[in-house]
Amino acid sequence: MTASPDRQRALVVTLLAVGLAVIVPLSLMLGRGSAGPRFGLGSAELAGTILAEIRLPRTLLGALVGGTLGLSGAALQGLMRNPLAEPGILGVSSGAAFGAVVVFYFGLAGSDSMLLAGGAVLGSLAALGILYALAGRAVDLVRLILAGVGINALAAALTSLALNFAPSPYAALEILFWMFGSLADRSMAHVWLLVPLAVPGWALVVAAARGLDALILGEETAASLGFSVRGTLWLVIGGTALAVGASVAVTGVVAFVGLVVPHLLRPFVGYRPSRLLLPSFLAGALITLAADIAIRLMPPGPELKLGVVTALIGAPFFLHLVLSSRGRLGA
Amino acid sequence: MPSCRGRSPLLAPSTGHYLSLPALACIGLLAADPAPGQPGGRTSGGLPSVASINLCTDQLVLSLAAPGQILSLSWLSADPEESMLAEAAARYPLNYGSAEELLEIGADVVVAGAVTSPFTRQLLRRLGTTIVDVEAAASLADVERNLAQVGAAIGRDDEAAGLVAAMRVRAGSVQARAESIRAEASAAPRSAIVVRPGGFTIGRDTLANELLELAGLTNSIAGLDRWGSLSIETLLEREPEFIVFTRYRAGEPSLANAIFAHPALVSLAGAQKTLAVESRHFACGAPESLAAAEALIEQMAAN
Repeated sequence: MTASPDRQRALVVTLLAVGLAVIVPLSLMLGRGSAGPRFGLGSAELAGTILAEIRLPRTLLGALVGGTLGLSGAALQGLMRNPLAEPGILGVSSGAAFGAVVVFYFGLAGSDSMLLAGGAVLGSLAALGILYALAGRAVDLVRLILAGVGINALAAALTSLALNFAPSPYAALEILFWMFGSLADRSMAHVWLLVPLAVPGWALVVAAARGLDALILGEETAASLGFSVRGTLWLVIGGTALAVGASVAVTGVVAFVGLVVPHLLRPFVGYRPSRLLLPSFLAGALITLAADIAIRLMPPGPELKLGVVTALIGAPFFLHLVLSSRGRLGA
Repeated sequence: MPSCRGRSPLLAPSTGHYLSLPALACIGLLAADPAPGQPGGRTSGGLPSVASINLCTDQLVLSLAAPGQILSLSWLSADPEESMLAEAAARYPLNYGSAEELLEIGADVVVAGAVTSPFTRQLLRRLGTTIVDVEAAASLADVERNLAQVGAAIGRDDEAAGLVAAMRVRAGSVQARAESIRAEASAAPRSAIVVRPGGFTIGRDTLANELLELAGLTNSIAGLDRWGSLSIETLLEREPEFIVFTRYRAGEPSLANAIFAHPALVSLAGAQKTLAVESRHFACGAPESLAAAEALIEQMAAN
């Protein structure tokens, strides 16, 4: 326990990387057939296709989307200086879902088109904009979360409204997919849709790392240290909107990953956002892949939604955080 | 097999094509080898092998395919609450409609419905699977169109044409029966409102509405084009001659089923004539959907 913080962080990063190195092949080898979970790749003639076209995109998307959520959670918690901030809770994800729904169901784009992702990014940007206007500058736990509750409710209502008015009578039934995301039957086309938006999004967030560190000390101190508060703000909002928007366009809303991950890591890597970003990305990927593996291990039946599993784990954690921060909430 | 004992098949002239669906199902059951086909390549008759991943298309495929042509049907199709052909479906392996399952099943043709996940359809197309997207049926004409579409896709055009002809004969006899009942009773068409779980009702442009009309009933809900929810107040106001209850999984608790216990509805049902249609007969468009109209007529005649 005398290890220096840097060495301890390096150890955490290494462990997470090892975890990913174990879980990725596991995810590639685990399928789900009519009789429930299935190990291996099936018959020799199909193995290549199953691996390259079904399991690989599913695994890659699980890692990239989970990583995005972990990273965004860490960045938003830093930016808002609020331990309950997270794309799902703040309504950023449901804003993205609304954007994607409008583009998709009104026939503007197919489910793997860049336009769909564009709609989702605009939706998450709008949610973040409203959020920051309502509560961003106040270092007030309750206000931010209440703003998130409002945005979530609004986005869910608008999504439901849009699905009701969509030309397809079945659209209304598909709200479940957008509200509780899933990785089922995605293809490499979805990976290629996600990567060009998510990678620049991550880059923007990472570019804000030092600014986020300075923000811990308060906006004035950060400014006096030479960091542009506004610049940091736009980097995080722009980056999160890009990466989370593209993720939601591909998988729907996967909640709570971004909330849980930074909290699990802080005791080991410390409180500075710059030190938290990379481990949060790795742990987000790890947790999301684990949740998706759990889904495939369920007994035979229609597949459970990924967002259901992450919420089952994440929501009690959220309640625990609310309880443990009760003193501050009352302040 | 109840499907063989139940209704007497409508035997139309000469050819085997003019059999009603129950009769066809019986023939299927009597056939020497009802076992599902083998994956990979065509079946013995040179017909493409088929998998269906939607409850409604399951029933089309079941009525059209040759024995041995079907490799798999979707998971709900063997459930008698859901499917009109549950017993016939129970002989086949069931799937949950994931791309990986279908790849393993390896059917030449996959038949999908309107509610099938767009992601699954897209991925299967990408992998070179032949997918037939079948629109939901909102009329008997749509059922005929869907039969022709699926028939063409699985090399059973003649069977599709035969089923369409049999449907028309069957519908014709329902209509004749309805007209004779109406002549005996009163001249005006009789009004009805369908009450489904959750207080949902059916409107103008639905197969269920066409089946009501075929049975000589007029839907009292005029302004609605597809489905909608019905307030009990509306039901009381309209005072239909018949209330058509479509129950679904009545023994399993759901908010949707709670409406049937609403005091206003219970007292209305006590005061008015009620009819019942099985939910599965209104759920999908297939030749056997005509059984809904036949059931309505039988109940009205007994009333």
